Amino acid sequence: MTARTRLIMFLAAAAVIAGFFAAACSRLPPFGTPDHPYAARAVAAALAHRTANTVASVNFDIRAFDTLGEESILFGTVLGATLLLRRARDERHRRAEAERVMPTTRLFGTLLLPVTLVVGVYIVAHGQLSPGGGFQGGVVLATALHLAYVAADYRALKRLRPLTFLDVADSLAAASFTLVGLAGLVAGGAFLENVLPLGTFNQITSGGTVPVLNAAVGIEVASGLIALLAHFLDQAVELTDPDQHETGGD
Amino acid sequence: MGPAALLPLAVAIPLLGSALLAVTGRLLSRVGCDIVATAAATAEVVCLALLWTRGGHLATAELGGWPARVGIVLAADPIGAGLALLVAVLVLAVVVYSWRYFDEPRGQHAGVFPALILLFEAGMAGFALTGDLFNAFVFFELMGAAAYALTGYRIEDPRPLQGALAFGVVTSFAAYCSLLGIGLLYARTGELNLARLGRGLAGHPTDLLTVVGFVLIATALLVKAAAVPFHFWLPDAHAVAPTPVCMLMSGAMVELGAYGIGRVYWTVFSGPGGIPHGAFRTTFVTLGVLTALVGAVMCWQQRHLKRLLAFSTVSHVGLFLIGVALLTPDGATGTALYVAAHGCVKAALFALSGVLLDRYGSVDEHGLHGRARALRPVGLLFAAGALALTGLPPFGTGLGKALSEDAAGHWQPWLPAMFVAASAVTGAAVLRAGLRIFWGLGPVPRGRPGEEETSGEGEEPEIRSPRRTLPPTMVLVPAVLLALALALGCLPAVAGALARGAAAFTDPASYRAAVITGRSASSGAHEPAAGWTTAGVLLGLLSAGLATALAATAVRYGSQPPRWHPAARAVRTLRRLHSGHLGDYLAWLALGVAVLCAMLAAQT
Repeated sequence: MTARTRLIMFLAAAAVIAGFFAAACSRLPPFGTPDHPYAARAVAAALAHRTANTVASVNFDIRAFDTLGEESILFGTVLGATLLLRRARDERHRRAEAERVMPTTRLFGTLLLPVTLVVGVYIVAHGQLSPGGGFQGGVVLATALHLAYVAADYRALKRLRPLTFLDVADSLAAASFTLVGLAGLVAGGAFLENVLPLGTFNQITSGGTVPVLNAAVGIEVASGLIALLAHFLDQAVELTDPDQHETGGD
Repeated sequence: MGPAALLPLAVAIPLLGSALLAVTGRLLSRVGCDIVATAAATAEVVCLALLWTRGGHLATAELGGWPARVGIVLAADPIGAGLALLVAVLVLAVVVYSWRYFDEPRGQHAGVFPALILLFEAGMAGFALTGDLFNAFVFFELMGAAAYALTGYRIEDPRPLQGALAFGVVTSFAAYCSLLGIGLLYARTGELNLARLGRGLAGHPTDLLTVVGFVLIATALLVKAAAVPFHFWLPDAHAVAPTPVCMLMSGAMVELGAYGIGRVYWTVFSGPGGIPHGAFRTTFVTLGVLTALVGAVMCWQQRHLKRLLAFSTVSHVGLFLIGVALLTPDGATGTALYVAAHGCVKAALFALSGVLLDRYGSVDEHGLHGRARALRPVGLLFAAGALALTGLPPFGTGLGKALSEDAAGHWQPWLPAMFVAASAVTGAAVLRAGLRIFWGLGPVPRGRPGEEETSGEGEEPEIRSPRRTLPPTMVLVPAVLLALALALGCLPAVAGALARGAAAFTDPASYRAAVITGRSASSGAHEPAAGWTTAGVLLGLLSAGLATALAATAVRYGSQPPRWHPAARAVRTLRRLHSGHLGDYLAWLALGVAVLCAMLAAQT
C-alpha cells in the first residue's frame, strides 16, 4: 500500500469509528445523578474492612486479584527488558565518564534526594488512608534515586543503585503478593482473603492486608522501575556498537 | 482440595515459579533452572488436571471472600478448565523441549527465559478461568507483555525486534479499544462480572452503545485470535519468535481469542439487551470463512516453514470462529476438541521445524530440498503431523473437524465444504514441505526473478554447538504431542467431557445462577453427541486424500500457477497486502473495527 492509500483507508475507517463511538457515548447515563451502583457497594465493603481509602480497598482488597495481575505485568516487563536489552555479542561496554555539574545543581540534588525518598515511603505507607499507595509511592521512590543522575552523573547513580539487590527485591516483592494470597487459602478462607486484624479505622495499621500488599507493590514498583530504567540507561550511556552500519541499516 | 482453591492456584503456581526462577536463576546452573521450571510446569498440569476432573459443570471461587456483586469471581466450566489444561500441557512440553535445545542467556540473566514462559502461562490460565471482564483484560495484557518480550528474544537480529514491535503495537492498540468497550458497558450497568453484566444489560433495549461496546471488546480478542483483517501481526511474529514460543502462541494463545469471544458473547451479550443471535452468527461466520480462506491461500504460498505453519494457524482459527459462532452446543463441542487436538499437532509441527533449524540453520522449504533425508524419524513425525492437520481419522483434529462440520452443516449445508477445503490446503502445504525436505521428492523449486518472498534462509540456529547429536527430547516431545492428539480422537471420555462442557458453555442461565448465587446448578441443557460418525470419517478421509493429492501434484509439477493466470495475479495482490508495514496493519485494524460496527448495527 502506498502511504496515501493507507492514510485514506485509515481516515475513512477512523471517521466511521468516531461516528459510532460518539453515538454510543450519547447513550451513556447522564452525569451528576445520585445513582452510583458500584461505588455504593464498594464504599460499604471498604468500610466493613475499616479501610479509609476506598480506592486502596478496591485495588488491594476487593479486587486485589486484578492488582496481582497488574504487578505481574510490571514484573514481566522488567524481565522482558532484562532479556531484550541484555548485552548483545556485538556490543562493547564503555565505562560512563564523570561529568561536570554546577555546584548549585549538585546541592539541589543532595538536598532533594532524601526528601523525595521520605515522601515516597510516606505515600506507600499511607495508601490505605489517603490518596497514594504502592504504585504511586514506588514511582516517587524510583524518581528519588534518579535525581542522582540528573544532579550529578551516571557514575553517581550507579553507586546508589545496587542492581542485583534490586532485581532480587523486585522478584521477592512480586512473589510476596502471591504468598499473601495463599495465606488466605491456608487460613481456611479464600485466595487473597484478609488474614490480619483489621485494626482501628483511619489508623495506619488499619485495613488488614491492604498496607502489606501496598508495601509489596511499593517495593516492586520502586525496584522494578529502577532496574527497568537501568537497562535503558545502560543501553544509551554505556553500550556502544563498534560497527554501527551493520545494525543501523534496513 | 476443592475447586475454590484450585482455581486461584492455577494462576499462583506459575507466578511463584516465575519469581523463584528470577531470584535463583543467577545462582543455579542451567540444569537447576530447568528443574525449577519443569517442577512448576508439572505442578500446574497436576493442578489443572484436578480442576478438570473435580470441577463439575461450573466451579467458582470468590476471591478475597467477596461475592460477585463487588469482587472478582473465577469460574471454570470444562471448556475453560480444559483450555487452561491445554495451555499447561503445552507449557510443560515447551519447557522439556527447551532443556537441551535453547541457547539461553547466562550469568545475571539466567532463568529469565523460563520465568517469562511461566508468566505467559499465568496470563493464559488466568484469562481462561476468570469470570470477570476487567480481570480478563488484565490477564490479556499479562500474556501480551510476556509474549512481546519472548518474540523479540533473539536480539542480534533486527527482524525479531520488528516482529515483536508490530505484535506489541497492534495488540496494545486493540487492548485500548477493548478498555473503551469495557468502560461503555460499565457506565451502563455498573458491573464488571460477566454474569452480572449480562443481567444488567437485560434492563435496556439493544442500542448503539451495546453494539459499539461489543465490537470494541471483541477487537482485542479478534486481534489475539488473528481473524482477518486483524491477523497481520501473527505470521510476522511467528517467523521471528524462537521455536518454543511459536509452539505456545500457535498452540494455545491464538485459540484463547476465539474462546474469549465465545465466553463474552454467551455470558454478556446473548440475552435480551445484547446482540441478537442471528446478527452475531452471520457476522462471525462470515469473518471465520474469510479468515479460513485467506489463511489457506497464504499458507500454500509460503516457503518459510514457520510462516507456513503460522498461516495454517490463521486458517484453522477461521474454522474455530465458525464453530463458536454457530452458537450451538454441538458447534462448541466440535470446536473445543478441534482446538485441543490442533494445539498439540501445531506445537508438534513447530517443534519439528525447530529440529531443522537446529540441524541446518534454515527453515526454507526450497533450500532444504532433500537435505534432511538422514532424519527419517523426524520426517515420519512431520508427515504424521501434516496428515493430522488435514483431519485424518482417528486423530482428535479429525473428530473435532467432523463434529464442527456436522454442526455447521445444520445451519448452512455448504459450510462443511469450507472445513474440508481449508484443512486440506493447509495440510497439503505442510505435507508438500515435508516431502520435499525429508524425502527430496520432485525437482528443486526455482525462485522466479522479481518475486517478493520470505525465504527462511539465513536464520540463526537457536543454539551454538552444531556438532552435538540431536537431543532426544527434541523428537520425544513432538512424538508425545502427536500421540496426545491421537488420544483425543480415540478416547470417548474426553469428547464426552467436552460435550458436557459445551452444554454448560452455551447455557448462560445456569452460568449466571452459579456465579451470582455461588451454587453450582447442574446444566439442564441437552448434551450433544460427540462420537465418530460415518459421514465424519468419510469427510476426514476426503480431506486427507485431497491434501495428499495436492501435495503430490505440487511436488511433481511445482506449486504455483503460471504468472499470467488471473488467480496468480489475485494471490500476488493478497501477498503484497502482507507488507510488514506497521501502519498498514493498524489501518486494516481500524477498517475491521469500522466494518464490524456497521455490520452489527445494520442487523440490530
